[in-house]
Amino acid sequence: MTELSVSLEEITKGINSFIPELILSLGIMLLILLGLFKRISPSFLTLATLIISLLSAVFIVANWSVVAVPVRIFNGFLRADDFSSYLKVLFDISCAFTILMTWRRQDQQLRLSEYYTVILAVLLGAHLLSMSMNLIMVFISLELISIGSYILAGVSFSRKGSEGSFKYFLFGSTASAIMLYGFSFLYGFTGTLDFSSAAFANELVENHSRLLFVASLMALAGFFYKIAAAPLHLWSPDVYEAAPFPIIAFFSVVPKLAGIAILTRFTLALNAFGQTTNDWQFVLSLVAILSLTVGNFSALGQKNPKRLMAYSSIAQSGFLMVGIIAFVPQGIHYMLFYASVYMFANFLVFNYLQYFDSVGMETLPSFSGAGKTLVWPMILTLVGLITLTGLPPTSGFTAKLFIFSSLWESYQLTGKAILLWLLVFGLLNTVVSLFYYLSIPYYAFIKGGEKDIKTNNLTFENLFGAVLVVAILLLFFNPELLMGWINKINFVL
Amino acid sequence: MILSAYTPSTGLQFVEHKPWITLDLGAWGILKAEYFLGLDGLSMPLVGLAVFVMLIATISSWTTVKDTKGYFILLLVLNAAIIGSFTALDFLLFYLFFEFMLLPMFFLIALWGGPRREYASIKFFLYTLFGSILILIVMIGLYISVHDPSESGRLVHTFNVMHMSDSTNFISGSILDPNSPWRIGIYNARQWAFLLLFIGFAIKLPAVPLHTWLPDAHVEAPTAISVVLAALLLKIGGYGLGRIVFPIFPDGAVHFGWFVGLVGVISIIYGGLNATSSKDLKRLIAYSSVSHMGFVLLGFASLTTEGIAGGIYQMFSHGIITSMLFLLAGVIYDRTSDRTISNYSGLSAKMPIYTAMVLVAFFASMGLPGFSGFIAEIMVFLGAFKSSSVQGPVTEILAVISTLGLIIGATYYLWTLQRMFFGPFNLKGNVAIEQVYDLTRREYIMLLPLAVATLFFGVYPQPLIGIIDPFAKHFAEFVLRTGQSLTLNP
Repeated sequence: MTELSVSLEEITKGINSFIPELILSLGIMLLILLGLFKRISPSFLTLATLIISLLSAVFIVANWSVVAVPVRIFNGFLRADDFSSYLKVLFDISCAFTILMTWRRQDQQLRLSEYYTVILAVLLGAHLLSMSMNLIMVFISLELISIGSYILAGVSFSRKGSEGSFKYFLFGSTASAIMLYGFSFLYGFTGTLDFSSAAFANELVENHSRLLFVASLMALAGFFYKIAAAPLHLWSPDVYEAAPFPIIAFFSVVPKLAGIAILTRFTLALNAFGQTTNDWQFVLSLVAILSLTVGNFSALGQKNPKRLMAYSSIAQSGFLMVGIIAFVPQGIHYMLFYASVYMFANFLVFNYLQYFDSVGMETLPSFSGAGKTLVWPMILTLVGLITLTGLPPTSGFTAKLFIFSSLWESYQLTGKAILLWLLVFGLLNTVVSLFYYLSIPYYAFIKGGEKDIKTNNLTFENLFGAVLVVAILLLFFNPELLMGWINKINFVL
Repeated sequence: MILSAYTPSTGLQFVEHKPWITLDLGAWGILKAEYFLGLDGLSMPLVGLAVFVMLIATISSWTTVKDTKGYFILLLVLNAAIIGSFTALDFLLFYLFFEFMLLPMFFLIALWGGPRREYASIKFFLYTLFGSILILIVMIGLYISVHDPSESGRLVHTFNVMHMSDSTNFISGSILDPNSPWRIGIYNARQWAFLLLFIGFAIKLPAVPLHTWLPDAHVEAPTAISVVLAALLLKIGGYGLGRIVFPIFPDGAVHFGWFVGLVGVISIIYGGLNATSSKDLKRLIAYSSVSHMGFVLLGFASLTTEGIAGGIYQMFSHGIITSMLFLLAGVIYDRTSDRTISNYSGLSAKMPIYTAMVLVAFFASMGLPGFSGFIAEIMVFLGAFKSSSVQGPVTEILAVISTLGLIIGATYYLWTLQRMFFGPFNLKGNVAIEQVYDLTRREYIMLLPLAVATLFFGVYPQPLIGIIDPFAKHFAEFVLRTGQSLTLNP
């Protein structure tokens, strides 16, 4: 009886910093219920989902002071801190963007309420994953994301969709199994599931078994899979090709950043303040170099914008990892900045790709001549693509400058040659990436051709695009707006 | 207006200094980038040149028919970026303007260019972006290594070029600190940084063997864009050497001076030889640019007052002469859509005034006394020959070889004159006789000011030298002395 009351007390204590997740959970139930009524208009569902995700974001921002001091809740399963809160806000905003993108095609989407329910479930999984401090919790939230994603990948209910979804499912369950296998070894070695505990770190420092290294690598493999880092990226082009645009945009931001969040926490735990014998900086650098190179070079030959963006997102995972690899607090701050810019740019590009797709431009050659009629959409897309490349005057440049400066700093501290190689590869890959990022504007502006499309500049897409462009430019001219906030994040495991 | 208010001295003028990004990074210090503009003896002539040439380029674009609005928007953006990079004194700001030239230029070539414009524009873009990535690597390294001495208490990482040029501002223990023990292979960090920056700017300059984008870009670009490209964009390479590479890494400049000089001499000779064998008039002019920019490298490498002043003078004079050359090539192309040299002969009979203009431009570019090119080249030679006597890095042999460049220059210009303009009037290919007529009024307006300018600065160079000289003197002494002291006491 006393045990129960103790755990009840623990739960009530934790509830206070768990409100956003509760909002999402209630929202999921609400949407399932709403789906039962046949006569509800699609717009109402869209609006309800939008409000739920924004409400969660508003709550996090309003309660920022609560997380300023990190708290462990629910017996240490979760940790509410400003690092996870920041990412959670990003997730919520991305979800809202996804819903705004869906709004344009809500009438074509079958089973709209279920669709929204699953999106919110993935969002909830991402929330939980970014807070997890326990191997079990990591697995549960990762599976929540994964299972939701399998469904979303096939949500277009086409042959291609089911193929992509099934592929995703097969790859994903294998990756999860490998990760779980690694977790079980880790548990066996350390005797604890809490990867931030002293027992976990001590074992890592004292045990020099090769098996421990392999087990940790297996555990990391699950995260690499989630963020689509090479060599575990093979699923992403197929899945991206099959899914509808809002879902691709969602996939390329929310699960990826959630994976990055847990990768950050977990590698810092594995690193055990630099006292392990295994050089995780080296492993991660290798993966990052591989992702950058594979992603960028595979993207060069793509003719389908969806596949192109899939490879681009593989390469962007490499850039995001650079921030973690630096292993300095500044690097993680910069990574968060990069993630925010990446979110804006990615939604900007996908928003327009969806629009172009709706007017029949499905492959790169079909963009020929579109620059003459669709002037503004094309220019705004160009801004998004330049941001992803990392050229001034967009905040993509600022973000790249930031994360590479943290890498330089780290190199200066440690003098490891691999970091220099990563720097060189990262920057050279920027040149390569320019080649394919510019291919859409290249076809649109430079290749001749006539497009017979009625143009109307006052569409929702242009409004949405313009807002995102303003955000991107604002962050370039005044990065303090965001960095001031990010810099207060006190990242201690 | 600025010209009249400028007083020659070593210091900076018209300084505009505003905080831009100040980022508190907690224990790590503060990131500081500023909106910091200013003019001195290096940038003043180039800004003057930029304004002048952009005006002419606009006049020459008068007949642009396709998407006029987009064209002029891009041209103005380009203009702003060029003047911005000539005046920026904050490395981040400079880099920003530097990169921001790429996109407008890319679209200007790719949309309004000739038949192979897609290939040329992408080649231009990739080459330049590769160069700027090398610059970016060093920029990040510098920003981590340099602190702002005017801020006490906190560690302030700054992008200010003036602070970077003072070797005492390097944080001890950082990679680019002169005392850093870091090395890869035979060079230390500062020497690597010098090399990376040098390659980055040499692509822009362009120096052999990194020049191959230039002929393609020039041949395909529309006339006005060729003018801007040759007269202004190439100068940013030279300007970057003078503003950033040499002052920040004077030890590298002393150590690699011979190499810079060698690249310069190779460019002079190789560019000249290529020009001789070019069949297309515009390609010939493009290679002659490569050759002439070699003089800039040689002048800077000599680390003497004469050489550096000559290098800057050469940039200015080449800007004027090459604009004129490209405009002249554009004149004939406008009429006949054909620039093949061998398709013309005896043009002087039909186009006497055009021929006179070509004579002026060719002779000026050749470095004939009386034109601005002569002054520039003679100063570079003086500097190159004197260099070894003041412990500068350029040897006499290099200087002797470089004079061959004058002879090669004379060869290809005189040969072209003889083939195209003299002898019996004859046209080959698809050129009709009625297409060939003399200059129009608009063409006079473009060409005459340039011709007058090159004559004026050839006969009476003092106004320009007065602006350059204090800077060059200070610069040469500073780089040579600091460079040697850093090399001797590492």
